[in-house]
Amino acid sequence: MERQEAFEKVVKILTPHVKNMKALDSVSDTTNILDDLKVNSARLVDVVLAFEDEFDIEIPDEDVDLVNTVGDCVNLILEKSS
Amino acid sequence: MGRITAPLWVPVCVAIMHLGFRWRIRGAAEARREFRRLRSESDAPILICANHLTMLDSFAIACALGSTWTYITDYGALAWNTPDREHFAGTWWKRALVYMMKCVPLDRGGDRRAVGNTLNRILYMLSKGEVALVFPEGGRSRKSRVDTEAVTYGVGRLVKNLPGCRVLCVYLRGDGQKFWTDTPARGEQFEIRVRSFEPKTDQRGMRASVDISSQVLHQLAEMEQEYFDGRQ
Repeated sequence: MERQEAFEKVVKILTPHVKNMKALDSVSDTTNILDDLKVNSARLVDVVLAFEDEFDIEIPDEDVDLVNTVGDCVNLILEKSS
Repeated sequence: MGRITAPLWVPVCVAIMHLGFRWRIRGAAEARREFRRLRSESDAPILICANHLTMLDSFAIACALGSTWTYITDYGALAWNTPDREHFAGTWWKRALVYMMKCVPLDRGGDRRAVGNTLNRILYMLSKGEVALVFPEGGRSRKSRVDTEAVTYGVGRLVKNLPGCRVLCVYLRGDGQKFWTDTPARGEQFEIRVRSFEPKTDQRGMRASVDISSQVLHQLAEMEQEYFDGRQ
């Protein structure tokens, strides 16, 4: 899977949970999911489960601890998909 | 340090609750019996999972589940807590104080690595036979009722990594507690209900954590329904 394709899918999955819609206009790998997009931390569960469904991967709890930015999500997904 | 100084600060905390806040808790005797039974039944870990309406819930629950004498003579009965760092551990002396009182501050909604580290500390304490108290909704009940949709993975993550872990569900509510607040009212009359079970799941990874957390939340929601049915 191409990185750009994964990035677009990640943003699409995150979008329903984003409270700061303005930040989506300039979303990049370094965009922080909680601080910039203002996604509720409690909703990260839904996001991670959606990643698992969309990309047909399994993400251990410990790996979720390493996810802070959109780029972290993309890297994790590409790593698990390969 | 906490264990050694317990004879000093535990009676002070209990006195603050009874004489300062003038709180009373119905059902405390039954709750203590069930807690004692669980602890004597086996050495498997015990995770206390409670509903969350005020910032002092863990304080009230601790007072309900054990007496001053219990905590002085059996310090392991006092549960570890994960208070919000912003509210309870903003300065070094507060951090030292709350750690002595068996608290591991948590950055709610903060950096995932920091939250993960806190969960790992609690996991370690539980594996060593300590008791821990967590709030499965991840924060105070914003709907003032147990929100079964507010599933976080923390509780499930702890339970699934501890074979045989028992969960003691605790439902605590003040008679005058209509909504979530910072603190309960002075003179509040609480009611406490407890129920224990051992969550099981066939799921894996994050889904297993979510499944277990969801089971706990549904238990709490049932207990809440029974509470309101009992008051009609």
